[in-house]
Amino acid sequence: MIWVSWRRQRTETLVTAALLALLAAVLVPTGIEMASTFDRDGLAACLGAQPGQACASALSSFNSRFDSLGSFIAWLTLVPGLIGVLLAAPLVLELEHRTHRLAWTQSVSRARWLAGKLGLAIAVALAASLVFTLLVTWWRAPMVRIDGRLDQSVFDSEGTVVSGYTLFALGLAAAVGVVWRRAVASLVVGFVGYFAARIFVDTWLRQRFLSPVTTTFNLLSGGPDKLRHAWVLNEYPSDRAGHHVRIPFDLCGPPPPGGGKPDIGNCLADHGVFMHATYLPAGRFWALQGIETALFCGVALVLLAFAAWWTYSRAD
Amino acid sequence: MTAPVHAHGLGKRYGATWALRDCTLEIPTGSVTALVGPNGAGKTTLLQLVVGLSRPTDGSVRVFGADPVGDPAAVLQHVGFVAQEHPLYRGFTIADTLKLGLKMNPNWDDELAHARIEQLGLPIRRKVGKLSGGQQAQVALTLALAKRPDLLVLDEPVASLDPLARREFLQSLMEAVAEGGLTVILSSHILADLERVCDHIIILANGRTQLASPIDDVVATHRLLTGPRADAAAIARMHDVVSERHTERQTSLLVRANGHVYDATWELHEVDLEEIVLAYLARDRSAMADTVRSA
Repeated sequence: MIWVSWRRQRTETLVTAALLALLAAVLVPTGIEMASTFDRDGLAACLGAQPGQACASALSSFNSRFDSLGSFIAWLTLVPGLIGVLLAAPLVLELEHRTHRLAWTQSVSRARWLAGKLGLAIAVALAASLVFTLLVTWWRAPMVRIDGRLDQSVFDSEGTVVSGYTLFALGLAAAVGVVWRRAVASLVVGFVGYFAARIFVDTWLRQRFLSPVTTTFNLLSGGPDKLRHAWVLNEYPSDRAGHHVRIPFDLCGPPPPGGGKPDIGNCLADHGVFMHATYLPAGRFWALQGIETALFCGVALVLLAFAAWWTYSRAD
Repeated sequence: MTAPVHAHGLGKRYGATWALRDCTLEIPTGSVTALVGPNGAGKTTLLQLVVGLSRPTDGSVRVFGADPVGDPAAVLQHVGFVAQEHPLYRGFTIADTLKLGLKMNPNWDDELAHARIEQLGLPIRRKVGKLSGGQQAQVALTLALAKRPDLLVLDEPVASLDPLARREFLQSLMEAVAEGGLTVILSSHILADLERVCDHIIILANGRTQLASPIDDVVATHRLLTGPRADAAAIARMHDVVSERHTERQTSLLVRANGHVYDATWELHEVDLEEIVLAYLARDRSAMADTVRSA
């Protein structure tokens, strides 16, 4: 049974492997370059709270050099969806070409056949997610040391969430496909659905997983250390108690002519204006990962169970 | 030994339409049964119920005493099935297809499978999708036969084949049957294909069984009666009138005789199987038309 499932899923698995190989071909050389730049410029020493002038210029040159790559990498978050829907193809094709009648009239029961087919798809999806996550995490290690890993584009390709995304895409395409029995159309719908669900979670839901923390700090101090690498949800000028206020530019206005640089931060603090931030601390990374992984895996499980049940009981 | 197939009050409904209704029949061990009927008569539905691809809406079907849907493990390894259009994995080579058979069937006869492919002169490394329709049908039959089934179920196996491939396929089938121990059901809407191969016949029309009997009995009991124009009522009291045709002077009746026809007003003629089958199918069509009219 395993051999049959494998043989039926060989093309999709090879395409997945090719996709990951292509990714590695881009990430490995640039990753090595980025890591060696990070070491050569001694950026590790610059990650303290108050970097000096030399550090600031080294950091900014590092950022300007690799930022474009970083934003390209943000698009990689589509890859788990692509792999997921691709792995749903063997099951849907089976129903579209009606070859399930061949498989179901050998001596293997429908339940075992389904278990073999979905089991293999899930296994390859998980393996591909693991490779993807390891690759991207290794590649981005220097950037993460500078910017942290709660940023949207970082969070969704590290930790455990990628496996959730891939399984979700697989489950969605499979669920649509077993009902519709059109492979190409179901895969497209599955992918669009994946994209929509991801946007919804990224931009609206994730920040509501945990109750955020608030802090009030001196406006131009650059913020307390706990905001470093944190996910700042909301920031506004406030009074000492955190109530929203307007910045009184008339009081702490532009520098007097001929005068030196005014200390606007302290001026504002003197007039009772602070900065209020709502944020999720960097330490919440794994809690957020856990919740999001459980969410996507849970929905994926429901979708896969539905696909299996529908195929088992409805198709003939 | 329990009958290979035993159906009782079997029915299958799709939405509001009954594809098969109140079907009761038994397929005897070792028989080769032709399942005949027009397209949409319920042939495929009946065969899919037998191999457990569909679930009955009504009644029950037992294959070697077991429920094909509820207990597939008990049924499937004894049944070889070639579905309509003989689905195969087009991306598989013939060798892959035989390996699938090996992996998915405990009684698989690998030697037989390879011997058959070789005997047919099929290139084992060729992809199934690149084979002709006739060759694909032969691969599908090989897959079904190498399971070493006790019951072979073929749904319209030759419908899509050209006449030569059709003859070769049926030849292969007859050779397999000649080896013995095999019960076969095959469906077709073309009777000529089946007459040479089969010894039993089931006529299915409009979702119902019209006739289920050994072919010899069918031919022996059906007679064409011709005589001066008359009403069929007298004959119908004794025998089953399948069809009646009246001209101005003459009446001809096709009857299924219960014993001898003693009435001297009628001249008796033997009829061949095809005429009998056509009469049943025509009768069904007029019955269907009546239903439509009264609705």
